[in-house]
Amino acid sequence: MSDHPLFSTRNPWFGISVGITAGVAVLSAVVGLIWLPLLQPHLQLTGVWDAICSAAGVPRAAVQETAVKPDFKTSNVVMTSEMLTKADQVSIGRGATLAQRCAICHGPQGVSDAHSPNLAGQFAAVTYKELNDFKTGARVSVVMSPFAAAMSDQDMKDVAAYYAYLPRVPSNNLDTGRPAPAVVVTGAPMRNIPPCGSCHGDIDNKAGSPWLGGQSVVYIKAQLEAFASGARRNDISQQMRNIARQMTAEEIDQVAHYYEAQP
Amino acid sequence: MATETDHSPGEAVAARIERRWATLSIVIVGVLVGMAAFIGIHQATMPQGRVEIADPKTLHLSGEFTESNLGSEMAADGSVTVRAIGQQYSFTPQCIVVPADTPINLRATSADVVHGFLIEGTNINTMLVPGYITDLPVRFKAPGDHVMPCQEFCGIGHQGMWGKVKVVDKTAFRDMAAAKRRLTCVD
Repeated sequence: MSDHPLFSTRNPWFGISVGITAGVAVLSAVVGLIWLPLLQPHLQLTGVWDAICSAAGVPRAAVQETAVKPDFKTSNVVMTSEMLTKADQVSIGRGATLAQRCAICHGPQGVSDAHSPNLAGQFAAVTYKELNDFKTGARVSVVMSPFAAAMSDQDMKDVAAYYAYLPRVPSNNLDTGRPAPAVVVTGAPMRNIPPCGSCHGDIDNKAGSPWLGGQSVVYIKAQLEAFASGARRNDISQQMRNIARQMTAEEIDQVAHYYEAQP
Repeated sequence: MATETDHSPGEAVAARIERRWATLSIVIVGVLVGMAAFIGIHQATMPQGRVEIADPKTLHLSGEFTESNLGSEMAADGSVTVRAIGQQYSFTPQCIVVPADTPINLRATSADVVHGFLIEGTNINTMLVPGYITDLPVRFKAPGDHVMPCQEFCGIGHQGMWGKVKVVDKTAFRDMAAAKRRLTCVD
């Protein structure tokens, strides 16, 4: 072996191997960061530096083009799975006072036979979102819209916290022995219908999806039909319209009766 | 070099073998780089050219993924941009309509968790990651219907998350686009 040090410019092995390795690295960088990005016209790169940044994955906000504006009101509530899950006693107390005006339809304990939704034990995020949508006009009801119009954001949160605090009371049609229809248990995968419970709380809860047990059959049917026809459009990005549109009239009838009989 | 002549023949053989192995490893690196470039150019893999971000919580409030802006849009140059979102447990629009044999830009994102975006019968297969926009240049060869299942477990209703893609004739699509700015085939 020679006496030259290994890491030395005088060692040809060292010089050549480092040189070639650096050469391959530079060539790959030029190909990957500059040449290939510039070959893709749809990226609309403005130059070499833009190409390098793009290929290296520097994040940027999407280019704002002129989006088509909706010709109807959409829900403006920002839903998260943690929202309104920790109510304080003051909020519940305020809500109890405010909820007196709701009692004529929704019942003094949040339960009634008036075919209006039973709110006792409803997820707070759900009651809050619907009140908000009534107020902004994303959801329309001759009865509810005027009530919601006068409510502040805090009022809606308090009322929602109060109803979430009340215990669920089964309806008069409770029948836990009633067999669950197929669309509830398994959904209909090829028609884009997941099992109802994967959002509505029986299995898992997606923020904004209501608890359905004990709701009136008339109410559930009316809402599913409104989603299916597009008469109701306050579900964010069509999350419920996509499902209801695919359901048959028979399935809608089955799920409405099934959920009315649940606790 | 003067010292080289003093070495035994064994050292010369070792040097030659060393050189060949070094050449071989450099060739392997070269082939791998070349392969990555080749499959990228020929869209066997579709590495995304840029990283764009979008807040999953507020997609419905403003920007390009609001409900009324989703669907297929035809640009003045005849190219088509499709915008879609994945959410628990559906794609919106539920049915995507595109023309055959036309350059198409697929832009999609997720409103909640990671979803899969796969169009059966094509090599379109990617993920919708909340916070990031998936942008794919694609082209459908012939008219026909494809199913578009979510292929990334996204929650307990995952198996019910299916969309459809309807590839229609170029002129038929042009006629539809003349009547409406954002097209879907949701019925």
